[in-house]
Amino acid sequence: MSKRTSLSVVVCRGFSTPLRARRGAVIFDDLRAIQLRYGFLPKAELEGLSQRNQTPLYQIHSVASFYPHFHLAPPPKAEIRVCADMSCHLNGACELRADLERRFANSRPEEVQIRDVSCLGRCDHAPAISINDHIFTVVTAAHAELIARSAIRGDDIHEPHPEQARIACKADPYGEDEKYGVVRKLIPSKAWDDVLAQLKAAELKGMGGAGFPTSMKWDLVRKQPDPVKYVVCNADESEPGTIKDRFIMTNLPHLLIEGMIIAGLVTGAKRGIVYIRHEYHLQEEILGEEIRRCYRSGLLGKKILGSDLDFDLEVFVSPGGYICGEESALIEAIEGHRAEPRNKPPFPGQIGLWQKPTVINNVETFINVPQILARSVDWFVAQGAGGSRGLKFVGVSGHVARPGIFEVSMGVPMRDVIFNHAGGVRGGRQLKSFAPSGPSSGYLPASMIDVRLDFKALAEAGSMLGSGAIVVCDDTTCMLDMALNAVRFYRNESCGKCVPCRVGSQKMADMLVRWTQGGVPESQYRADLSLLGELSQAMSLTSICGLGQIAPAPIQSVLKHFRAEVDAHVLRSQCPSGICFTPAARAGEAQRLGIRP
Amino acid sequence: MAATLTPPGMIDITLDGRSVRVPADTTVFDAARMNGITIPTLCHLQNQTPVGVCRLCVVDTGARVLAASCVRPVEPGMKVVTNSEKVLGARKTLLELMMSDHPSPCARQQNSGDCELETLAKAAGASQPRFAKRTVARGKDDSSLAIAVDHDACILCDRCIRGCDEVKSNFVLGRMGKSYSAGIAFDLNSPMGDSTCVSCGECMVSCPTGALTNKSVVGTAIVVGPGAQGFEAEDLLQIPVFKGVSGTFLELNRGAIVKRRFRKGDVICREGEFGSTAFYILEGKAKVSISTPIAHVKTQGGAKGLFKRLSSTLVAREEDKREEEVRDRTIPIDASVDLAYGNPVAELGPGDLFGEMTCMNFYPRSAAVIAESDVVAFEMLRNVLDIMLKNKTFRGQLDQTYRRRALENHLRGVPMFADLSPDFIEHLKESVELQRFAPGQTIALQGDPADSFYLVRIGFVKISENYPGGEMVLAYLSRGDYFGEIGLLGGGVRTAACTALDHVELVRISGEDFRDMVARFPSVRTGLEAVAAERRAANQQRMQMVHNVPIDQFLWQGLMEAQSLLILDLQNCTRCDACVNACADAHDGITRLIRDGLRFDQYLVATSCRQCRDPLCMVGCPVGSIRRRNSLEVIIEDWCIGCGLCAQNCPYGNINLHPFEVMVDDPERAGRKKPAIKQKATSCDLCTHLKEPSCVYACPHDAAHRVDPRTFFAEMLGQGPAK
Repeated sequence: MSKRTSLSVVVCRGFSTPLRARRGAVIFDDLRAIQLRYGFLPKAELEGLSQRNQTPLYQIHSVASFYPHFHLAPPPKAEIRVCADMSCHLNGACELRADLERRFANSRPEEVQIRDVSCLGRCDHAPAISINDHIFTVVTAAHAELIARSAIRGDDIHEPHPEQARIACKADPYGEDEKYGVVRKLIPSKAWDDVLAQLKAAELKGMGGAGFPTSMKWDLVRKQPDPVKYVVCNADESEPGTIKDRFIMTNLPHLLIEGMIIAGLVTGAKRGIVYIRHEYHLQEEILGEEIRRCYRSGLLGKKILGSDLDFDLEVFVSPGGYICGEESALIEAIEGHRAEPRNKPPFPGQIGLWQKPTVINNVETFINVPQILARSVDWFVAQGAGGSRGLKFVGVSGHVARPGIFEVSMGVPMRDVIFNHAGGVRGGRQLKSFAPSGPSSGYLPASMIDVRLDFKALAEAGSMLGSGAIVVCDDTTCMLDMALNAVRFYRNESCGKCVPCRVGSQKMADMLVRWTQGGVPESQYRADLSLLGELSQAMSLTSICGLGQIAPAPIQSVLKHFRAEVDAHVLRSQCPSGICFTPAARAGEAQRLGIRP
Repeated sequence: MAATLTPPGMIDITLDGRSVRVPADTTVFDAARMNGITIPTLCHLQNQTPVGVCRLCVVDTGARVLAASCVRPVEPGMKVVTNSEKVLGARKTLLELMMSDHPSPCARQQNSGDCELETLAKAAGASQPRFAKRTVARGKDDSSLAIAVDHDACILCDRCIRGCDEVKSNFVLGRMGKSYSAGIAFDLNSPMGDSTCVSCGECMVSCPTGALTNKSVVGTAIVVGPGAQGFEAEDLLQIPVFKGVSGTFLELNRGAIVKRRFRKGDVICREGEFGSTAFYILEGKAKVSISTPIAHVKTQGGAKGLFKRLSSTLVAREEDKREEEVRDRTIPIDASVDLAYGNPVAELGPGDLFGEMTCMNFYPRSAAVIAESDVVAFEMLRNVLDIMLKNKTFRGQLDQTYRRRALENHLRGVPMFADLSPDFIEHLKESVELQRFAPGQTIALQGDPADSFYLVRIGFVKISENYPGGEMVLAYLSRGDYFGEIGLLGGGVRTAACTALDHVELVRISGEDFRDMVARFPSVRTGLEAVAAERRAANQQRMQMVHNVPIDQFLWQGLMEAQSLLILDLQNCTRCDACVNACADAHDGITRLIRDGLRFDQYLVATSCRQCRDPLCMVGCPVGSIRRRNSLEVIIEDWCIGCGLCAQNCPYGNINLHPFEVMVDDPERAGRKKPAIKQKATSCDLCTHLKEPSCVYACPHDAAHRVDPRTFFAEMLGQGPAK
């Protein structure tokens, strides 16, 4: 009993104590404590919590019911969740789930429940599943069954932490004893303007997807008169295929921390928070250790390195959900609310965390800062290829021979990344298409393989650099199926705040489900296409945040580049890849219909 | 260009090609409104903080995406287009999306034709959505007395939530879940009627669709006439208890409250009458009393031979003390006072509420109320009483009145508390908690830690015990009863589940006070322990029966409900009806036996009181005059007012009303009496005054038997009773 509960608790720790007192409304710690004790959140306990904290019941429920990691009912002894997104989907997740359903067909729901789950961030080791919040990668149904059965028996199960040797990266400017060299030099000089000037000269852009100039963001926060400011690192990468920050935090945690300290010094923020997704247990430990080391050596805390400057840093573990990666939703989550994106303007740089000016940057953006400052702008410029600047970490997954995370020059052709670094298409098959950055970038056809890995080049190709989550599809892939897979992801991860995203993503999924079944009369198909166009337009134009705005991208890109395939599918019930319209596909489809619980 | 001319606090923007000057801190939505441009919206209300979630108010500001004008601040030089094809197209699609899940016409559209979504969709030509419809219904919530909830009509505009939390500060409503399955929820997703909702109606008047609508109850209006003056919503808002309630909501409930004037001697209500209103006295004094004789039906007769001159009469307990009758028990009524057994009269005055049970639960009036002076009172229906009861001030005032006036009587009405010292009662008056429960709500679960002792103040509490395969009702407790002592005196856990059957109000004495009480007053302890032991024994005995019977075979005929059956062996029975006649003869011509019922094998189970496991007859008695003895026999107490509810509730027709002619005060001529017919409930008494039930005795064919089903049928089924 207690074993089971202790497992689910690993999931969402909030802050360590320092911030607690100031967090008034944050209730994650309390909810976690209750879940630790009972394995779920019993009503009577929530009522007690409401009394003690003088928090209305509805507030507790609205938060507890929003995040997938709080259980409002007793969980089964083994809760198996199969990652259903892009890379795992390409690597047999559907078949895995169907196999598991068969294996546990006679089990009672108190023992086992099998559900889909959104991307677990293990795209390079697909397929991934989680059992009682422990993640297992490259699993077979037989292996998963074994683990689940031991969980049912009440045995303790452990998440394997694959041995991760530190990999030397070009991005690291330091030898073992030189770490934090930039901060050490910067503090006596207090040359904050110089930092901004160098970042501006380097044209450093945000690496989380949007590509906003970092110097402008920092300058905006620096100019805010409010004495209280925050620096937040968005380490919640949850876009299917995105695994680069996991790699960076494993191998270059000191650069991330140094980048955040510099951001704090330049903008005048005295407190930083790393918002990390809860599936990254190992990275959370590594970062925690590095932070403690920095506190011991005086790099963090009050009067850094004997100066009059303060900077505190801590790790906040996300209670879960792709939407938390949206910067304003992330802020709402830290504040203890439902992670619903805010209407902008105002931007976080003006009114952010706890209504204070806040710098929010991606992990990779922060690590670029000490790179540029430790070496030089010229060095940074020289790292790029074909006129682009700097280095880029990309994750390559899907149908490739060597899936993984690679450090490449910004601007290299996609062909180089996929064929040289990732070993090309697996099993000698043909490349059919690739997504430069998960579902959000849409799918490009094999013919565009020479597009360069660069903000501008990809935007011109009708895609985007995004978070460098390259997903490769071989010629056995049905592109309509991939589009439906992507829409389902957005539908499941929509926060539900605004109409276009909440309702639109469902209606779009409904339409694509109908399409994948084939045999649609031509007149209906034409009407559908026009309606889909209107819906895509409305979602892109009126959704509050990027999730709803980008949700139509996958199907629109498939219609643009693979129209003939879609037509054959919808009108003539022919799947050129030969994977749909088989009895197995139908059975799998029936299972996936409807909304995930 | 015009910057130098722009006065401070104002800025210039372009709206649909027109240059306009607007306040610098306004939103695009308001700037447009000030300039005569109406932007459609569903989630925005002028008195609430804008949230920008319906996205219908989007406008083109020249950016990559459209901006929701309700949350978008104006900026100097901004160029806003509110009606381009791009904007109108996006709006139409949004309406079509919402309409595809909308139960059109929704309740609001049906009731008043003003569903904002349907109206806007019609105007935009989006009434016939092309998107797939919602496949899984989100359901309705009918639990609130005043407001109907249809989750399918909800568009999550957040207006009710802001109305509840921001406008009225009631903090009950929020969003729950995420993505397409998100919805609104009360408290921890409780049914609205069980939630902490105060029925202020703000959510309902904020709702743009049929998701939250006013519930029309039967008879929403009290007839206004001479002496009954209606109210306008504005007048009502002046009355303190209606402060904070939505005016529109009161408007919808207009007619559900009147102010009545009674002259001295007027009858305000009569005992036993059915009604649906409660009264709140504003001025004057009234007398509350019971005019039905305080007595029970006694059947007397010889024990031998045939039943020649048997007769039933009304006797009070002074003359005929029955087993387990408690001398000092007071008579609970539907007001803040209890009546004394010996002198069932009390006085009500300004600030007193009576008829709460009648109004909330539709039980018959428990007593007659007659104006002793000129009386002014509110008379109200359930919707309005619900609002008033949920008003914290009014609630506090009622609770205060109760603590001051009735709690002591209430405590003293329980005989074993008679020894409590005045100072301890004073202490309790302050420290007890008054709790309310909605129908069906759990008060305590079997196995819960026992931390309090309860006195029932209003309503019925079901005490039941779970056993594998079912639930056994141990008792229905009503006003004046208490529970919780077994857990406190014993092992510290609840031995039975306690559930509110209807609108229930309890007096909660904390475990601490309880322990203090039993420590200070040994007589109380002894009394409580004795009762607890009795209750435990009785419960155990009942549960024993449950365990020894092949449940599955019995349940389908409902026979398991019975603990003592009258059965007729159909192989012997000639249908001569001698048993029925004998019963009638034994009870003044009113039979308590009907030769009809369920068949089980060769036996007909005749309908005479079955002493059910779930005695429905005990639910609802307005004066708590029906209970069962430890022998499980149903007993009607002397203060039965003859309303007939128990007879109506008994599913087997085993309780009958027996009319008697008695002399009562003549209202026409003071001080004089006149004859009147008063009824008393009776049930099969097993002819306890006879050696054998008369029906069994009378059967000439040895076909009638009174048996205990657990042994009788167990044997027959080849499964002898355990042990």
